Amino acid sequence: MRIALKSYGTILTSRPAGREAALSMKAHIHPVPGEMIELDFDGVLSVGPSWLDEVLSSLRGDYGRERVICLPTKNFSVIESLRVIDA
Amino acid sequence: MKTETRNNILQIIKKRGGVRPNDLKKELGITPQAIHRHLRSMVAASEIEVIGRGPKTLYYIAGNPRLDKVLNWSASNDRPAGDPGESNCETRDVFTARLSHLSSLTKTGLKEEDLSLVISVAGEIGNNCFDHNLGNWRDVPGCWFEFQVTAGRLWICIADRGQGVFRSLRRVDPSIPDDQSALITAFEKTLSGRAPENRGNGLKFVRNIIVVGEKRGVACRSGAGIVDYGSLGQECRSVLAVHPHPPIGTVTLILWSMI
Repeated sequence: MRIALKSYGTILTSRPAGREAALSMKAHIHPVPGEMIELDFDGVLSVGPSWLDEVLSSLRGDYGRERVICLPTKNFSVIESLRVIDA
Repeated sequence: MKTETRNNILQIIKKRGGVRPNDLKKELGITPQAIHRHLRSMVAASEIEVIGRGPKTLYYIAGNPRLDKVLNWSASNDRPAGDPGESNCETRDVFTARLSHLSSLTKTGLKEEDLSLVISVAGEIGNNCFDHNLGNWRDVPGCWFEFQVTAGRLWICIADRGQGVFRSLRRVDPSIPDDQSALITAFEKTLSGRAPENRGNGLKFVRNIIVVGEKRGVACRSGAGIVDYGSLGQECRSVLAVHPHPPIGTVTLILWSMI
């Protein structure tokens, strides 16, 4: 299952916005057991670690760390955010 | 003589900030025509830049920020008089909307690949103002957010009149002794000022982005503390240090070379 993050905005910053996005995602996705949840950053201009941390923590908490993955991207803000979050 | 006059003009502008041609005429005692001739050649040589038109024309040192308004606003002991205008972001929603204005910077020379980082860095700092001060502002709610491009250099200033870093962190770690230690902790260690929530990565992210680039800098001042990071951090610190330190809140200055 792929989630297009651009549908949550092109600039994704702040914890409250991340928390709200995660709640919305969980309300609309219904992955079958074992199905991977792929976060797609295509079309997103900028992501902050606060926003991404809220989304990842929430999804990983519900579906398990190994089932939530970030698709490869050249967006530096995503790469650097992940470096801090998963340090 | 020509070089001496130009040096004198530079010194006057450095000392005063923005100056009008009329100010220079009075100070140097030379004709308006001569003043304008010197100013034109100095603008052409990218030594100075011109802001405004007609009688409101002011000349500034190229590459230096014009931050008197925000730094005076930040340093004021009492509730600042006057309206900060468009720079004031009273709520997080307003700040987020204005953050998107940074997208226009690619038209003035910011590389596409740097834009995502500039926005996320400014976003982390601005959102921190709201995360730590919502409902606890000292007087003016929200933050001051402005950016300027001069001579291929992007300056971003974000200031708030909130509790300051020391007060925020001391609640979760009473062993932090002062403003300076609190700032170092905020930028270099993982400690959430909103414990038990799992936070505290934002300013580490900012420091990482600034330090990894060749021509970037950040300085942050809160209370009597001040820190700087990156190759241009010292320059940011110098700009902040000219003004009295903010009594409580926080002011952060980012410099990002676009050349």
